[in-house]
Amino acid sequence: MRSFAEQNPAAVFFYFLAVLLPTMFSSNPVLGLLAMAGAALFYVLLTRRVGAILFSLLFIPVFILINILLSHNGVTVLFIVNDTPVTAESIAYGACNGLIIGAVFLWFAVFTRIMTSDRLLYVFGTLSPKAALLLSTALRYVPLFSKQAERIRNSQRAIGLYRDGNILTRIRSECRVFSVMITWTLENGIITADSMAARGYGILSRRTRFALYRFRGEDLSLLLVSAALAAGTLLWPDSYTYYPAMTLLLSPVGTLCYGLLAFLPSAVEITQRIRWKCLLSKI
Amino acid sequence: MLTVKNLTYTYPEEKTPAIRDVSFTVKRGEIVLVCGGTGSGKSTLLRLLKRELRPATGEIRGTVELEGCDDDLTAAARVGFVMQKPEQQIVTDKVWHELAFGLENLGVPSDEIRRRVAETAGWFGIEDWFERRVSELSGGQKQLLNLAAIMVMQPDILILDEPMSALDPIAATDFIDTLIRLNRETALTILVAEHRLDELMASADKLLLLDRGEAAFFGPVREGIGILADHPIMQNALPAPTKLSALLGEAPALTVREGRELLDNYDNKFRTPERETRLRSEQSALRLKGLCFRYQRESADILHDCELDVRCGEVFALLGGNGSGKSTLLSVIAGARRAYAGDVRVFGKKLRDYAPGELYDHTLALLPQDAQTLFLCNTVRAELKDAENVLPYDFGPLLDKHPYDLSGGEQQLLALAKTIATKPRLLLLDEPTQGLDAQARRYLADLMRSMCAGGMTILFVTHDPEFAVSVADRCALLFRGEVVSCDEPAPFFAGNRYYTTAAHRMSRGHYDGVVTVEEAAALARRNGRRV
Repeated sequence: MRSFAEQNPAAVFFYFLAVLLPTMFSSNPVLGLLAMAGAALFYVLLTRRVGAILFSLLFIPVFILINILLSHNGVTVLFIVNDTPVTAESIAYGACNGLIIGAVFLWFAVFTRIMTSDRLLYVFGTLSPKAALLLSTALRYVPLFSKQAERIRNSQRAIGLYRDGNILTRIRSECRVFSVMITWTLENGIITADSMAARGYGILSRRTRFALYRFRGEDLSLLLVSAALAAGTLLWPDSYTYYPAMTLLLSPVGTLCYGLLAFLPSAVEITQRIRWKCLLSKI
Repeated sequence: MLTVKNLTYTYPEEKTPAIRDVSFTVKRGEIVLVCGGTGSGKSTLLRLLKRELRPATGEIRGTVELEGCDDDLTAAARVGFVMQKPEQQIVTDKVWHELAFGLENLGVPSDEIRRRVAETAGWFGIEDWFERRVSELSGGQKQLLNLAAIMVMQPDILILDEPMSALDPIAATDFIDTLIRLNRETALTILVAEHRLDELMASADKLLLLDRGEAAFFGPVREGIGILADHPIMQNALPAPTKLSALLGEAPALTVREGRELLDNYDNKFRTPERETRLRSEQSALRLKGLCFRYQRESADILHDCELDVRCGEVFALLGGNGSGKSTLLSVIAGARRAYAGDVRVFGKKLRDYAPGELYDHTLALLPQDAQTLFLCNTVRAELKDAENVLPYDFGPLLDKHPYDLSGGEQQLLALAKTIATKPRLLLLDEPTQGLDAQARRYLADLMRSMCAGGMTILFVTHDPEFAVSVADRCALLFRGEVVSCDEPAPFFAGNRYYTTAAHRMSRGHYDGVVTVEEAAALARRNGRRV
């Protein structure tokens, strides 16, 4: 049994799409609430911290403020400031949007923790292997380039060529370093190309693709479950209105589906921890 | 396994061939050492043997037959090729991906890649850094990764073009050990060009000596030593035991053990070599007091309470292993980094009392480890603008070349010329011998001595005891950021058992305080053979 973060990145990526898309493009307060709660619980399980959660809740007052300044619709006028009415509907709409933006923010906080560059690259690789290899070589070159530029700067400094405070000479030497870095990169590109050719690159038009991650039964079930739950949410939507008056008609199936979807990672995480505890107690 | 017949190759627009009529046969499981001076055609020959790297232009005559390499795919897999620079051969950003890269190219199914990558990573001991980024690896690890990334394709023959020249001696020894283990355990055929013959010579089966593109010798190593010893360039590159046996006119010794056995045949009535003592100036050129340095506040000290006194007109060698802080110390002295405690006095004046720019004007200069990082222009001529005649070396034929196109030795000299163009009185050199062949090393040693005779003070850091002994007036050992011992080369190395020259390891106990092969040979000759 693997934790949620250790599932196949493609399945995890799909899950994030499934959980984010239904909320992101709606103002459904129920979905917003569920998304926020699910993300918050999972965030705490992952990091044992609450900082990002508090930050994401800040979106609510900010959006309320913005909305009461911009929108004066709604039938329930609470009070009037400077001849402009502040309505309960407008506050609710702002609060709900803030909630959803906050929830999306929190899901992204979780996303960046789980989907490291390796995993993202894997996901893109399933879409386009060529682009993935290109990206991988590019990622290889970035630190190489900056390290060499730093070395050159240090060498020049130690013979006193780089030092003068004058901003013009500084810009000039920076330009020279950059131009020599271009030569250096081309020069090294030749070696890298040789090294690729020596290992048979370009003989076959279709390379195979190796990844650290396997696709197992568990990953398939994660994929299917999240697809089904997302479909349920979209097919049986709650109906709600903010203006002119607030109404909310819950759709039991849709709400249940999204609730399950939002708490799925936490559920996986918690079951896994309980199992681990059981295993330990048996030893 | 590999048969080369009358191979001749001429580069486009050249009249004389770079490789001329070379023939040799390599049997399965042999290690062939390819040697020759700079420009003798080693790299060209090796590239001709690897189908994918064979020059597309130019004229090739003769044949190269490799067993079982019929189509392009098997040829790519069967012949492995490792190049000089560890960093630039790596294609992808992660260690595991680099290992899989070759197999992906061959269209091997994913599950088989998984098995082979796992097996190879285990054999090479890279499981610990399997998921690391390649940019975080050390130079030695990078080259080991390059080797592993080729071995995962299961080649029958491995060709290496100066694979150790960018590595420090410890990483180089590790690399050679891995090569030899590969050969012993998997009967891998190995063709290796290298100028550092010390460790390889004893393990190689055959020797191929190239001289201006021709095979001057091909045969068993021991039979070739006589020819190497007479060769004007290669005689410098011989391992110390071999040099000793050649100087004494004995049968070739390849290892320290054999050298020792050879010396045991000689008497040891006279035990100490005669040595002239050099007078040391009273004036100090560089003085470090209680120097402490760290990169970040939270990190550990790189230099800790470092004390050093270099006198005017001295050649001073600073030795130490990887990570002992040698390079950091040099950059602190050169004012590129600042110590948080202690002080650096250059010619009696504190570093921070120098006006901006004053330090680098006629006072101090640093030659960095990677000479290439000094070059900013497109031609040697432009690089040498203010430094034309500072070195007694004729850059004439190289003037219109790009600095990157020069050989390692030439680049080092060009960088040196550029460094001393400001006429420094104190010259700092960071690993000046890394990547140099024996001849260039020798030239550099002579040059350093003559610059010192001209009044310059030189402080250099090195890994290489042999080089330190050949040029330095005094040596110091840096260990964990602290100078732990400091003495003249002979007493400095004579006290050590491991970290010392091969000459001392051969003569220890037999003679006293011998640190160079020449001293050992002179003593042995003076004593004469035992009867």
